[in-house]
Amino acid sequence: MILLRRYGTLLALALIVLVFTIASPNAFGSMSNLVNITQQMALLAIVAIGATLVMVLGEFDLSVSAVVSWAGIAAAALFAAGIAVPIVMIVVLVSAVAMGAISGFLVARYKVPSFIATLAFGTVIGGLTFWVSNGATLFSGIPAGFRDLGRGTLAGVPVPTLWLIGVAVVFWLLLDQTEFGRRLYAIGGNREAACLVGLPVRRDMVVAFALCAALAGLAGLLLTARLGSAHPTGGGGYLLQAYAAVFLGMTAFREGEPSVPGTLVGAAIIAVVSNGLTILGVPSFLQDLLTGAIILAAVLVRNFGRDEAAA
Amino acid sequence: MRAGILGLALAGLMASTAGAFAADVAVLTPYQSSVATNQMINVFQDKAKAAGWNATVVDTRGDMGQLASRIEDVVAAKVAAIVLVSVDPTQIQDQVNAAAAAGIPVVTIDGAKAPGVVLNVTSDNFELGTKLSDFLFGKLGGKGNIVKFFYSAHPGVHQRELALDEALKKYPDIKVVADHYVVVPGPVDDARKTTENWLKSQGDQIDAVWAAWDEPAIGAQLAVEADKPDSKIIIAGIDGNPQAVELIKACSHIKGTVSQDFDAMAGLAAEGLTEILAGKTPAKAEVYAPAKLITPETLGVTCP
Repeated sequence: MILLRRYGTLLALALIVLVFTIASPNAFGSMSNLVNITQQMALLAIVAIGATLVMVLGEFDLSVSAVVSWAGIAAAALFAAGIAVPIVMIVVLVSAVAMGAISGFLVARYKVPSFIATLAFGTVIGGLTFWVSNGATLFSGIPAGFRDLGRGTLAGVPVPTLWLIGVAVVFWLLLDQTEFGRRLYAIGGNREAACLVGLPVRRDMVVAFALCAALAGLAGLLLTARLGSAHPTGGGGYLLQAYAAVFLGMTAFREGEPSVPGTLVGAAIIAVVSNGLTILGVPSFLQDLLTGAIILAAVLVRNFGRDEAAA
Repeated sequence: MRAGILGLALAGLMASTAGAFAADVAVLTPYQSSVATNQMINVFQDKAKAAGWNATVVDTRGDMGQLASRIEDVVAAKVAAIVLVSVDPTQIQDQVNAAAAAGIPVVTIDGAKAPGVVLNVTSDNFELGTKLSDFLFGKLGGKGNIVKFFYSAHPGVHQRELALDEALKKYPDIKVVADHYVVVPGPVDDARKTTENWLKSQGDQIDAVWAAWDEPAIGAQLAVEADKPDSKIIIAGIDGNPQAVELIKACSHIKGTVSQDFDAMAGLAAEGLTEILAGKTPAKAEVYAPAKLITPETLGVTCP
């Protein structure tokens, strides 16, 4: 039971992969599809890793999807104006960091509940995105060199997967191996105590929100590179799925704490379920039903195990 | 719980294996909640069933990234054909190219021509927008104030907006006094709320509502009916949505809709796909379904 509680989500991922591989050995089980899944989960996982940082603090950032959309539209608009790729990427990422920092400042300095602050600020970002794009999908002027950042392969590995590996390693090290990461867990565990022992709570919170938005901005850039177009609501699908990945991940390794490896497992479950069910020809409404049921099951199994342990 | 999940998974697997010997046709869209898109998908599914195909529908709810991923999935599954509904394939060109490279024909309904697309069945959206604008401006006698509901993110709907811009050049006495980018999903309620606000702020100035499709027109009708039922505001849209047609019949403020024949579009796509699956090439890469203006007069109704 302890094994199930501790590694249940990981086992569930293995089981899901096994079931799909048996059901569709040639399509789902092919190496090219398994590699493709890592590409498909990459952007979601990058956004979810950002959300993990904020969740470690015990907060939410509901503006991540707006930042993803903003980054794509801002980049496409700047490309249309003839600005070079490196400058566009820097400008977009800096704007995303600034947006996250503002959200973090509102939460840390003025104690606005993060749910409200980021919902409100996300709406502001959404308005800005529509203003810049005039509501249209932007296609033109996106350079091929930029597009290659979100598609194709390098040494047989999809480029988005490489981005994910890089982000996951950096943020795993940041959260698990640095003083900053340990401070975030301490703040999330007991903010008052963290204040009393002199931790820079406000500063760390602002940095965590800024990093979360930076990753959302990076995902927006990569999404635009992958699609070759930017949609003013293109990031809309990432909000709930990113938090679903973090919640699933919270049941994977640490005892109920968000972590980068856990979030990767959560994002992998979501991506595998979508990919496998589509390959098997299961209608999309049933996919939603199953995805929701799996998240609920993972949380219930964890709680069941915890109750048994307490009894 | 686990037994329930297994049951659902088994049901899904059974559904997927039931038609194991039929041609698998993947139908993908980001906009299934739209009445028109839904109608086209339903008709296409009926045609697919009659043709003995195993058609599966995937809806990504406006998420183009998800749409790209799901196309990759069905390419990996080596389906017999991919049908994209209400989406411009150039927005997912890499995935369409991958399907074409894998030898999987891609057909679009209410889409656009693009490399890798064997057949596109659609309406001429610019013509739809021109017909709507000419009808509305004619009803106003070439003079008046209009408000506009638009949705530039959909390339086809954007074409209608461009047609309005062209028509406005011909009618200098028609002024757009307000416009609104419609929220999708939920266009009816969004248009209702927006119209309510317009009626409160500038209701006396508005002579007509130009809606890029019928759902915002229906929302505007709900607001006008509630707040200014006796006004002379004229509303018109595009699509021939059954609810809009009923409202025209009922002599509401909706006085016209430019009907796209969605059933015909889905039917033409199914016919084209039959040829493609038989190894033939369609005579034309793009086929237009007919469009017609529906008004109280064409419905045989005399309104006061």
